[in-house]
Parts: sequence; structure tokens; C-alpha cells
Amino acid sequence: MPPRRQPPPASGPWGPRPAVLLLAPLLLLTQQGVAAAPVGAEGPEDSPGLQDAEFPSGLLQQAARAALHFFNFRAGSPSALRVLAAVLEGRATVNPKKGCQVDLVFTTDHYNPEVGEEHLGKCSARVFFRNQKPRPAINVTCTRLIEKNKRQEEDYLLYKHMKQLKTPLDVTSIPDSHGHIDPSLRPIWDLAFLGSSYVMWEKTTQFLHYYMAQISSVNQWKTNDDTIDFDYTVLLHEFSTQEIIPCRIHLGWYPGKPLKVKYHCQELQTPEEASGTEEGSAVAPTELNNF
Amino acid sequence: MRGLLVLSVLLGAVLGKEDFSGHQVLRLSTADAAQVEKVKELEDLEHLQLDFWRGPAQPGSPIDVRVPFRSIQAVKIFLEAHGIGYTTMIEDVQALLDEEQEQMFAFQARARSSDTFNYATYHTLEEIYGFMDMLVAEHPQLVSKLQIGNSYEGRPIYVLKFSTGGENRPAIWIDTGIHSREWVTQASGVWFAKKITQDYGQDSTLTAILDSMDILLEIVTNPDGFAFTHSKNRMWRKTRSLTAGSSCVGVDPNRNWDAGFGMAGASSNPCSETYHGKFANSEVEVKSIVDFVKNHGNIKAFISIHSYSQLLLYPYGYKAEAAPDRDELDQLAKSAVTALASLYGTKFKYGSIIKAIYQASGSTIDWTYSQGIKYSFTFELRDTGRYGFLLPASQIVPTAQETWLALRTIMEHTLQHPY
Repeated sequence: MPPRRQPPPASGPWGPRPAVLLLAPLLLLTQQGVAAAPVGAEGPEDSPGLQDAEFPSGLLQQAARAALHFFNFRAGSPSALRVLAAVLEGRATVNPKKGCQVDLVFTTDHYNPEVGEEHLGKCSARVFFRNQKPRPAINVTCTRLIEKNKRQEEDYLLYKHMKQLKTPLDVTSIPDSHGHIDPSLRPIWDLAFLGSSYVMWEKTTQFLHYYMAQISSVNQWKTNDDTIDFDYTVLLHEFSTQEIIPCRIHLGWYPGKPLKVKYHCQELQTPEEASGTEEGSAVAPTELNNF
Repeated sequence: MRGLLVLSVLLGAVLGKEDFSGHQVLRLSTADAAQVEKVKELEDLEHLQLDFWRGPAQPGSPIDVRVPFRSIQAVKIFLEAHGIGYTTMIEDVQALLDEEQEQMFAFQARARSSDTFNYATYHTLEEIYGFMDMLVAEHPQLVSKLQIGNSYEGRPIYVLKFSTGGENRPAIWIDTGIHSREWVTQASGVWFAKKITQDYGQDSTLTAILDSMDILLEIVTNPDGFAFTHSKNRMWRKTRSLTAGSSCVGVDPNRNWDAGFGMAGASSNPCSETYHGKFANSEVEVKSIVDFVKNHGNIKAFISIHSYSQLLLYPYGYKAEAAPDRDELDQLAKSAVTALASLYGTKFKYGSIIKAIYQASGSTIDWTYSQGIKYSFTFELRDTGRYGFLLPASQIVPTAQETWLALRTIMEHTLQHPY
């Protein structure tokens, strides 16, 4: 059952969905372009026969984001997080009964922009969005940006830094209202983003995507010798509904070890139902596919 | 420690309106139990009105006492007579309190002029309204402040009008802050206001624009929401109107306009962030603009500014059909984002709302476009999700600067293509 029950189709964000998908069992969508505007936003008209309302705008972007969330979670490395730079090309196949498969190639950037460094990575992915269900199936491989050893080194440095933080952490929101993150707390943000990546991957559908808006509270921060035990509440910003979704996340992390995540998100109050909740948990797979 | 003690005295002073002129705070040192007893005797003498900040305890522990002016002589004589050492911690309590008060207020100082106003930080509603008044006072020939209505909670809604004369000249409208959590937009609006006053007479493009057209700038389009983002919930988006029959508050002001109202692309759930409201223009914040635009009758460009996503959008949002002026708007958007990117390389995508972002009904520029305002645009400023609404204050000025280049491009085109 999808996480959000919209009232009857008329007010859903994309209009009458089921009817639309039946129109086009197979669609070919190629996007070529420069970093600036990959998704039908500039240049010549769309491919003939492709109605704007039929396809959620930016399906390729959607797929890229989902793939990246999954990639970041699986890599389990807060010092090597990536963000989407641009979609280079992509193709979508729609099966009205099952869902929508997107094959794409995109470029990535470092999540933490280092001054002077241009680290553009490249990924190819196959993303399968199941009809109105979250947890898209993802196959993604990316070019290696940092040596595995160096990455572990950086992670270990981060871990040491985090161990030095005074507990209990005297902090409410990260960032504060003015967008400020104390440099000493930056690793916390990165680790929180890593955990949130798991949640955001699971929740992404072909119609909904997420950004991490703020850590609204740190409930527990324990640095043991073999894990960092981090229990926090994060606010996720959901597109296209614009909702702010609080998710409580509990993660366990240690450099080089797979990430453990449990979470519990609050759902929107509907006029009829009481607020529902959505839960999930996972341990990242131990083999990593990047080469 | 001392500061805390003084602060509590200050509070007392503020509440009780006491005067501490000439009062001193002495630190006593007692050598033995007998001396401690003597100080306790002093404590019992009520007519001295002594105020022990740190009372007599063990010998050797310092004793701090505030002594009113008229008791100082007597106390010092007593202490000297009994060999109790003392030092003067505070010579004049009132003088210290006065100094602290000054410092406290200096910290939250109102800027004295729009030149000393800090554009690189986020401000409160009061500060922005104060800024507007300053700007008008400094440039009375160019800037005036119009009140176009009152918010749901009764806050005045202001528009700054930049005009070099004429009677109801063709005008360009810019609004920021319609969604209250998009703080970089109100902050940019403040910067734009200042920029206009600086560039008139200096920049040939802006001067040409203002010599024939007016600029109307509504900086805090949703004052209730904005106040709420400061006081209670930084992530508040909507208005703060109450909805009968629901415990949820607020309507999305960018779904409340009379263009495709209530159709797909907005929510009928009052608890939703995109709730369209019970009927079009139900929100006074929206109605005020609608009335103003209709009464004015001569607005030629309408630009509504949001964050985040880095997009420049034109109609439609509620339907996929291309707007009649699509080609021209698309070209103009392209020029505008090119100008924007020229400063810091910030990349914006552009297109119709429905194509570039998502289907949205009842949105501002769909309505303004339907009113014949051809150059209707919506901006989504920085960033693309890394910080989102919580854009670091250090990015305010760069964001405003680059956006201004895009605005200038649109305004210039409007000037050169009268209709």
C-alpha cells in the first residue's frame, strides 16, 4: 500500500495516472545534452507523440536520484557521498501492469564540495519503479572517484573526529534556521545524510522524491569502540507534495562495515484517517559493486 | 558569575524601577569564625538595607555584599573596627547596569541606515519593515510604501513602489516570500530594493526602465507565515488562516489563485502543504494582490520568487497545453538564465511550470498571465537540495546578485517590447 493515500484521482499530483500509462506500453525517451538542461527544459520540442502530462517531468532525474540514494547507502561511507550533477542519457520502458524501468547514465559530484576539486564521477543505472509502490529496484555502478583505501582512511578520520565530540551533544537543529552548521558538527550531518539516503531510497517512487532538510533532533549519540550508535530525527522535504516528513532514524556505523538502519516516518494527517506510520530497516549488503 | 548576578539585579531594577546609583559591592574576607559571626550581625541590621550576593559561611570564603550609598560609611567603619578585610568589587552598581543595558541593545541594534543594514543575514519581520521605512526616508523621491491590505492575523501587507513620476505608468511587479520558509527570497527582496536605489542614475538599463516604468516590490508576501517561521516552525510554508472543520492551519497561497483552481495539481486536504483553500482568493494575502493588480490595470511583467530548485518558469502549471506566447517566453527565459549564470556559474533550468517542475493548479502566474500580463515568470532560487530552505546566510548576497541579472534582463525586455 502506497505511503500516501491521495483522495480520488482528480487531486493527485499527476492527474489521472492509470489511464495515462495504458496509452504507451513502450516509450523511447532519449535525452542528450549538456549539464545545464537535460530534461526537456530547453531546445527543440519534445519527441513527437510524448504528451507532457503523460510522463512525470524529470522521470530520468527521479531515477538518477533514487539510484544515487541507493548507491550512497550501499557504499556506507560518509566521506564519499555523491550528489547528482546531470543526466546524460536515458530511456524508459513502461509496463502498465508492473511499472516503469529506466536505464540511464548520469554524472555525479562530491556531496561536500572541496574547494578547487572537480570530481565528476559517472554512473550507469537501471531503476525499476514499481507501480505506485516505493522501494525502486536498483542496479547501479559508478566510476571510482577515490581509492578504496583512501576512502576508508577518510572515514576513519571522520570516526575519530566523531568520537571526540562531547556527549551528550548540546545541539538541537542542524543546520540552524540560518543554514549554519558548526564545522565540528559537519560529520554528524554527513552521517545523518548517509542514514537518510536509505530512507529516501525506499520512499522514492516515480512520482515522489526527497531531500534531507534538517536534523531536527539528536536523540542519542554513542561512540563505542566498534560502532557509532546514532538515533536522530530528520525532516525530509517531499516533492511534489511539498510536505515536510519527520523520520526517526537509528543507525549503526563503523568505517568499512555495512551500515545498519532502522527508521520510522510520520505520515500526513488526512481528514479521515489518523496519522499512519511507515517503518523499515536494513543492513547494507557486504559486497560493493563499484570498481 | 558576576554578569549573572548583575543581570538579576538589572531585572530587579527594570521590574522595580530601583536606582542603584552610588551603591557598591564589597568582597569581605573573614579570617576566623568570630569574624564570620560579626558579619552575620551586620546582616541582621535591617536599616542598612544590605543585599548579600554571597552570604557569610565559612571563614576564608569570600562574602559579597551590595551596600546602598547611605550605608557605605557605616559599613566600612564597622568592618575596619573589627579587622575584617574588604575590597571594592563594584564602585558604582548603577553605572555598571547602565553600561550593560547599552551593550545589550547595541547587540540587537537597528541599523541606522540602509547602508549599515546587514544584507548578508536573515532578518525578522520587524527588521524588514524597519528597513522599508528607512529606504523610503532616504529616497523619498524614488521610493514609496503602499499598504495593499492586512494579513489574516492583521499584519500590514506592504509593497514598495519605485517610481520617477508619471501617472499610472506601466509597471513591473516582483514578489518574494509568498511561501514563508523560502527565506532566501525575502532576503533577496530586501537586497533588490536597495539595489534599485543604488543603480538608478548609475546603471543605464535600470535608469531607462525607471524613466518610463514603475517597479512594484512586495518583499514579505506572507507576513503571518514569515512570523511563524521565526517563532515556531522554520518549515512553515502556507498562510496561517484557520479552516473551519479542520484542526489544520493554512492555505498554500500558490494554489489559491483563480486559474485552474482546485484542479489536479493542488490538494483538497487542509492538512496538506498544497491545500488550495475553500475557494479561489480565499486568502487575503492573495486577494490583496488580485485587487491591486486589477485596480492598477497597467502591469506588464509579473515575477513571483520562490526557492529552491534553480528554475525559471513560465505558464502554464495547471495544464500541459503550451501558452500562446510560449516561444517568446522561452527565449526570454533562456536569456535571463544565461545572464544569471554569468556571475557565479549557477545553473538554472527553465520551461513551463508543468514541464520543468510539476503540475500545479491555482498558481500565481497562471492567473496573472490570464489577466493579460504576458511576461509572467516564477523563479525558484538556490539551491538544488543540498541545503534547500536552510540556505546558509553567506549565500544570500550572491543569490540576490545573480538573480538580479535575470530580473534586469526580463525588465529590459518588457521595456523594449511594449504591448
